[in-house]
Order: sequence, then structure tokens, then C-alpha cells
Amino acid sequence: MNDRRIWWFFIVPCMLVALAVVMSLAAVFQYSFREFIPGSLDTGGFTLENFYNIGRPLYFLVILDTLLISLLTAIFCLLLSYPVAYALVRTEAEWLRALLVILSITPLFTGEIVRTYAWMLVLGSDGFVNSILMALGIVSAPVQFMYTKFGVIVALVHFSMPVMIILLATAISHVNRDYEKAAANLGAAPLVVFWRVTVPLTMPGIVASTVVIFAWTMSAFATPQLIGGGKVLMISNLVYLQGLSSFNFPVAAVLSAVAFIAAVGSLALVQPFVTRLERRVAQQ
Amino acid sequence: MNTQPAAGHNGDVAVDIANVAKNYGAVVAVKQVSLPIRRGEFLTLLGPSGCGKTTLLNMIAGFEAPTAGTVSIDGRDVTNVPPHLRDTGMVFQNYALFPHMNVFDNVAFGLRMRKVEKQKIAHDVEAALDMVKLSGMGGRRVKQLSGGQQQRVALARAIVFGPSVLLLDEPLSALDKNLRTQMQFELKDLHRKTGLTTVFVTHDQGEALSMSDRIVVMSKGEIQQISKPLELYSRPVNSFVASFIGEINQLPVARLKRSGKAVAFAFQDGLALDAGNDGAALPEDDADVSIFVRPESIAIADASGRAGNVVNAKVVSHIYQGTHTVTRIEAAGLGLLDMRVGGGQIIDQKPAGSAIDVHVSLDNAVVLKAVPETK
Repeated sequence: MNDRRIWWFFIVPCMLVALAVVMSLAAVFQYSFREFIPGSLDTGGFTLENFYNIGRPLYFLVILDTLLISLLTAIFCLLLSYPVAYALVRTEAEWLRALLVILSITPLFTGEIVRTYAWMLVLGSDGFVNSILMALGIVSAPVQFMYTKFGVIVALVHFSMPVMIILLATAISHVNRDYEKAAANLGAAPLVVFWRVTVPLTMPGIVASTVVIFAWTMSAFATPQLIGGGKVLMISNLVYLQGLSSFNFPVAAVLSAVAFIAAVGSLALVQPFVTRLERRVAQQ
Repeated sequence: MNTQPAAGHNGDVAVDIANVAKNYGAVVAVKQVSLPIRRGEFLTLLGPSGCGKTTLLNMIAGFEAPTAGTVSIDGRDVTNVPPHLRDTGMVFQNYALFPHMNVFDNVAFGLRMRKVEKQKIAHDVEAALDMVKLSGMGGRRVKQLSGGQQQRVALARAIVFGPSVLLLDEPLSALDKNLRTQMQFELKDLHRKTGLTTVFVTHDQGEALSMSDRIVVMSKGEIQQISKPLELYSRPVNSFVASFIGEINQLPVARLKRSGKAVAFAFQDGLALDAGNDGAALPEDDADVSIFVRPESIAIADASGRAGNVVNAKVVSHIYQGTHTVTRIEAAGLGLLDMRVGGGQIIDQKPAGSAIDVHVSLDNAVVLKAVPETK
């Protein structure tokens, strides 16, 4: 077969990219086995001590916080994105679809930092939300949104929504409308159709996209850095502190490894489950 | 348009479609259709794709709102009632069985929506599965079923709660030929057993003829004819119906000539054919007529043993069909005609190109006043 040669065109660049990624990861991870020498940029010999160190509350709580923030972000992101994705796919009004696409997808093209600054303006003590709350007399003093987990999660949810909407819209668009029509025909009111047919049939997409957002929020940096302001730390912020402020490369490497394993691990763990769900709801 | 007089709002009408029209922007899908559907009848909406038959069905189910007119089910105006409150049972072309539920849960869905108690659900579902010959299959997953079995589950799901009307949207089109024939028998059987008012949509005239009490032939959003199957086949009211129902040859336009009791048709180049009846039902003298002849009314002349109406022709080609052969001939004065000959001997006896004399019987021909071509 002569046309096999064409595959090399695709395979070789893939392999080179993959090799570069693996090598840089290996370079980072090898630090996690090195001894930290305070006051020196060089590392010492082989040790497993760094791995025991992350059991210390300072690190361990940040890891827990990161998992919690990522989980909450993924869940709220799902709850807010599903209706938008549903409307985007199912609306018959062209203008509404166009509007939703513009509103939900364009944020993708503004950088994380720009969007985070926007949220700082919204969430700050004299920001948009507090001004309204105070003007309406609901609160007498500004509510503290900045430097809180709540503020970080709000910004992270918004940051992840475009991706979530795209993933969910794909899943919803694969559901044949005839299933919804059939349920309505059999006597199901619109909300019942939604819960008993649409949601179960999009469950693989729901689980998969939630896990993707969970995994990708694990590596959030700029948003917690700016909105958390050092009071809310996620793993990446701690890596930054340890690696570039204290120059403790070994601990930074261990933390990176933990984040990497958690992200890849959660995707890998859920994949068989998603595959099973997909098989279950596969349409003819 | 040939609509029968409306039956009015008496108890005999299960579904009443009154002056219904549907436009999609500038596109007219259904033009002013009135169709009372009688209680318990098996009514077929027949027509080519785009004729408006599916739109009409969707308007009964409530998936589409008419632009004008009203739809009533059991005397209740449901024009603005959403689908889930209409009490219709529909079988979709692709069955639309819920893939995340097993057979039992699919069939039970309508009953659960109606808050039927658990024990009765179990009983009714089993009875419905029994009716479609799937007893004991409730635990199966939908994907484990063959196409024919899925079709039956879809039927059971649609009839289990005793809907006011059963709507079938081309349900047989996805099945292979043998299974389709079998399902035609079973559908008829089911209709007899349940007595449900049934509206069946198809583009297949064979299915329509074999199953229906009445057939509504539609074209371009309009009803062309409403008739019993036999009547539709033998007495189509216009050229669309004539050529859509069964195989038929359209002869060139001829002039009708009466002399006493005999009626003849004079074709342009001197050929004249005898009408074969007294012409009581035929148009007036000297009218220009279009004549439609079924392939079975044309026979090899010497085999028919009858005199008159013999035309010289040349064999063009043969299509062997097992029980019979469809032979296409070029007849003098009549153009290309398809004739139906029993068996397959004709293929060797009269190979393509050979001369053949045929007898054209017009006893059962459809004769309509010619409509000037409008193109």
C-alpha cells in the first residue's frame, strides 16, 4: 500500500510534539525526587522526602481547596451552561441563536487576565455588584467578594462557561428531537420531557463535560491569583509561590505532579463510566 | 379538489380537520383541507413526499400549529392544545423508542404520565405486548430487538393507553420487503382487534390499497380524492390520482365519438379504438379525452382471441418479474406502452425489436376530459 506513506506526514509532527511534552514533564518531575537546599538554586541528591512534605497542612489544605473549588466550579458551570446550550441548540429563532453564540462564545477570544480584571471591577468593594446592593439598600457596607473563594469560583465559572456550552450543545444536538416529540405525544409535559428524556440522553455529555471543566479548573492560575489575591490559593498559585518566590523547585515539582495526576486521573477514571453511559443511550 | 360532504359534528367523527392550512413563510404545505375522520376507521393519507400528508398528521398530533382552520378530536377543539394534552398515540418513522429504557418502561411511559396505578400498568403493558406478539419481552433493551420487534414495541407504546386516535407516520418504510408485508397484515389485525381510529401516512400506494378503509390522495397540499381502495384504483378522478395509484399507461389525447350506442376514440393519426362499453359514464360527444390503461388491459392480440382494438407494435424491452413480465412496446399511434404478460415465455418468443400485435381493452380504462397542458 503506497498511500501509507502519507500517514507519516501526520504521525511525525504528532510524535515530535508528544515527545517534547513528555520530556518537559519528565524534566519537571525529576525535580520532585531531588533534595531542596535552602538558599540555593541547585538541588541536592535523590530523596522521597518531598512527597511526605505535601502531607503537611500548608500544602494539603491547598490541594483540598483546589479540588473543592474545581468541583464547585464544574457543578455551577454545568447548571448555568445547560440551559444556554439547550436554548442555543433548540431555539427556532435565528436571532436568539446568534445572540447566544455571540454572548457565550466571544469571551473565549478575550484572555483570562482581561476577563479576570473585568470581574475585579464587578466584584470589588466599590464594584458593580456592591454599588447596586448598596444603592438598593440591601446592604449597608460593601460585601467582601474579592479575596474569597466565592469570588474566585464566580470568575472561574464564567471563564469555563464558553467551553462547557460548546461541549453540552454538541451533546444536546445529537439527541434526535423525535424522542422528545414521542414523550410529549405520550402525555409528558415539557418539564417532564426534559427530565425524563433530554437529560438522560445527554448524560454522557453532562458527565464528560463536567469532568473536563473540573480537570481544567485544577490548573487555573491567573483568576485565583488576581481575585484570590494570595488569600485563596490553588495549586498553581502555590507552585508559583514555592517555585519562583522560595525557589523550592522540588516541592513545586511535587505539587505540579499532584495537580497533573488529579487532572489526568479524574479524566481517566470517568472515561469508562462515560463509555458505558454512551452505550446505554446510543441511538440507532 | 374532490372532498366528500363534511360529516358535521356528530358522534361518528373522531378527528375533524376543518379548513386547515399551513404555510411556512411563503411555502404552502397544506392548502385549505377539510377532512372528517370517522370513528374506528383506518384512514390513509397517501401522496408523494412534500404533498402535505406528514404536516397534516403533525397538526393532529399537535407538533405543528395550523396557520388557519381548526382541528378537533372527539368533538373538542384542540387547535391550541399542546401535544401532551391531546391523547393521541403516534408511531414514528424511526420508532423513537427511548434508548435509555427497556421495552417495559417504553410501553409503560404513557400510562405513567397518566398516573395509572402500578399494578394496572404491569397488567396493561403485558396485554399490549401480547397484542403485538412480544409477550415476556418487557425486560429486553431496545437495542437487543430487531427492526420488526422495535416496530411492535412502538405500536404497543402508542396503543397501550387507548388513545383517541392512532397516528402512524410511515412506520413500515424502514423494514425490508418481507417484513413489511407481514406487518401490513398485523397492522390490519391490530386495527380490527383494538377498533382504534387510525391515521396512516405513506407514500407507498401498495400499503395504502392493502390496509385502508378509506384513502386520501394528496398532492401539493391539496386533497385530490377520498375513496375506498377499490374505487380509487378503478375510478381515479384525475390524471394525478390515475398515474399515482398503480402502474398505468396514458394514451395520447383522443376525441370521443358516439354513433348510436357505440363509443369510439379517434386518435390523431387515424387510429380509432372502441370504448368497449356504452359510454354512459363518459364525457360528451366530441370531447377531447385523456385515456389511462392499466398494463393488464393490454394483451398479445392472437392470444386474447378477441377482434377489434388491435394495434401494431414493436417490442422495446422486457422486465421479468417472476409471475409476469412487463413488456414495453412502441405502439403505432399510441407511443410507448407497458403491457403485463403472464410468465416469462414472451422474452424468448418476442425479443426486443420484433413486431407484435396487441389488443388494447378499454373496458376498464379511465377516461377523463383532457385538461389543456399547463406548464
